[in-house]
Amino acid sequence: MNTQILHTRALTKRYGHHTALDDVDLDLPTGAIVGLVGPNGAGKSTLLALASGLIRPTSGTIDVLGTRPAADAAQLARVGFVAQDTPVYAGLTIADHLRLGRHLNPRWDTALADNRIRALGLDPDKKAGRLSGGQRAQLALTIAAAKRPELLIFDEPVAALDPLARRAFLQNLMEFVADLDISVILSSHLLSDVERVCDHLIVLAEARLQIAGETDRLVAAHHRLVGPRGDLPDLPPGIDVIATDHTERQTTLIVRNTGPDTPPALRDAPHLDLEDMVLTYLHRAAGTTDQTKTPMEANR
Amino acid sequence: MTWLTLRQFRAQALIAAAAIATAAIYLAFLGNTIRDAYDRNLVDCATACNEGAARQLIADRFGVTLMLLGAFLIAVPALLGAFWAAPMITRELETGTHRLVWNQSITRARWLAVKLAVVGGASVITTAALSLGLSWAAHPYDTLVDDRFTPLAFAARGLAPLGYAALAFATGVTVALLARRTLPAMAITLTVLIAFQILMANVVRPNLIEPETVTVTFAEAVADGRIDRMGYGPDGTVLKGYTIPGAWVITDSIEVIDGDGEVIGQDRMHACEADGILPEECLTAADAEFTVEYQPADRYWTFQWIELGLALALTAGLTAIAFWKIPRGLN
Repeated sequence: MNTQILHTRALTKRYGHHTALDDVDLDLPTGAIVGLVGPNGAGKSTLLALASGLIRPTSGTIDVLGTRPAADAAQLARVGFVAQDTPVYAGLTIADHLRLGRHLNPRWDTALADNRIRALGLDPDKKAGRLSGGQRAQLALTIAAAKRPELLIFDEPVAALDPLARRAFLQNLMEFVADLDISVILSSHLLSDVERVCDHLIVLAEARLQIAGETDRLVAAHHRLVGPRGDLPDLPPGIDVIATDHTERQTTLIVRNTGPDTPPALRDAPHLDLEDMVLTYLHRAAGTTDQTKTPMEANR
Repeated sequence: MTWLTLRQFRAQALIAAAAIATAAIYLAFLGNTIRDAYDRNLVDCATACNEGAARQLIADRFGVTLMLLGAFLIAVPALLGAFWAAPMITRELETGTHRLVWNQSITRARWLAVKLAVVGGASVITTAALSLGLSWAAHPYDTLVDDRFTPLAFAARGLAPLGYAALAFATGVTVALLARRTLPAMAITLTVLIAFQILMANVVRPNLIEPETVTVTFAEAVADGRIDRMGYGPDGTVLKGYTIPGAWVITDSIEVIDGDGEVIGQDRMHACEADGILPEECLTAADAEFTVEYQPADRYWTFQWIELGLALALTAGLTAIAFWKIPRGLN
């Protein structure tokens, strides 16, 4: 097996008393297009900043492409990172940015960069400070891609864009990824941004990892069980109850099958769509902090 | 990386070049004026020449200007530290562009090293150019009046300014990495550097080597024209601004005593005055003398080297902190 693009163990980041990321274990395979979702303040940016090496963990380990992030120039060359708000030098022109990329990256793809800027219809002599949010994001994407990394990391690249630019950017990104054959980690606080393009999903909330895995398998593993109130069958081991909802007459369980096969009890239970599944986890995470006296196990 | 550094530094470099050019024109003009005055009063002097009088004349005419220029030159490294070094780091952090540049295929340590070498080098060169210009302009004055060891001249000539320039730059960068915001970083940098200069001139430099003492008779000092001001009160008579050629007189307020070692109080001076005797004559008649502490002229270059070494050692320390800090991230 190839080296994983991201491998973390007990990864934790604290700022004083505030815990931004708590005890995260992740294994992401090469070639994955990973969507990282969660509400604002869930720890997405912290995780990606750790992955890019901009910050260091308080405890735990993180390896990106098999090495410590930003360990040396060779490691930096393998990872392209586009930070939140897609920072560019306002005083430098687009051409200056491409020149910067060429000077600072040994594997810089001049043709790719030039073609992209042309295809986007951008004037190379325009100052980056005068670009629209969408154009700036495209410039940042161009710099990150022309570096020819093995892994591209985007932190909320479309958060500041209007729906049209958002769509265009993601479309563009996917064309890119297909052409260059690279792995991608993309964060967003909106599932709709990532579900169309990602084959892996990470859900972060309240600084903790809620669930991570291949999108299809996640969907396949989650079921909705509905029965008369209080009268649900005993569930076999290997099935976790994620959420319980009682109405006057019936009880609804959202369960996750952690085993390889679907047990008989779940055969007829419908699957959740991705959005419902993510929302269930986010609700659960929010619940654990709202009612601190009720541990997560109380739902089980 | 060098290209990017130069590209980002372009505006400041142009301003610095313009400032150096302006300063060069002014210093050329000043240098020629001083040379004219020197030639007229000493070289071309045919009759009734008096070196002491010529020295006094030139000191009076150019002393204040050169002192102000010296003070300005001491301020230059501090200003470069605050306006070049600190924002060079904090502007990246404030606009978030460090997240762009630190994710290119170049380590942060190398990024910092190139920044330090290029912009820090430019800062040292700017200071050196201004210092050389001032040294050239002041050369006849320095030979004649010979007060280059006094604090404002010492820190503006020779090797010392180069050390200050390097130190100021390293201070700006390291403070910026720790403070992370432009205005606080600039303010702290300026404060630290001003404090350093004050401490250096008043506390450290006078005692780098044990000062020597000399006792001078008042008559001698007057004959050589080496006393600037004199005053007397109930506590005795005091001299200020006594100079020894090429040396640095550390004693600021010099107490005058008579031949028997007694303090010369104001009543004695008033008695002379009542008899129509000038204060100078009165003191000469009393065999007045005084003792001063000073750093002799032949220590000048030793002190310059020590000061350069001190500044460079501090620069190295601060730079080490910066290189320790930067790969650890700014979290």
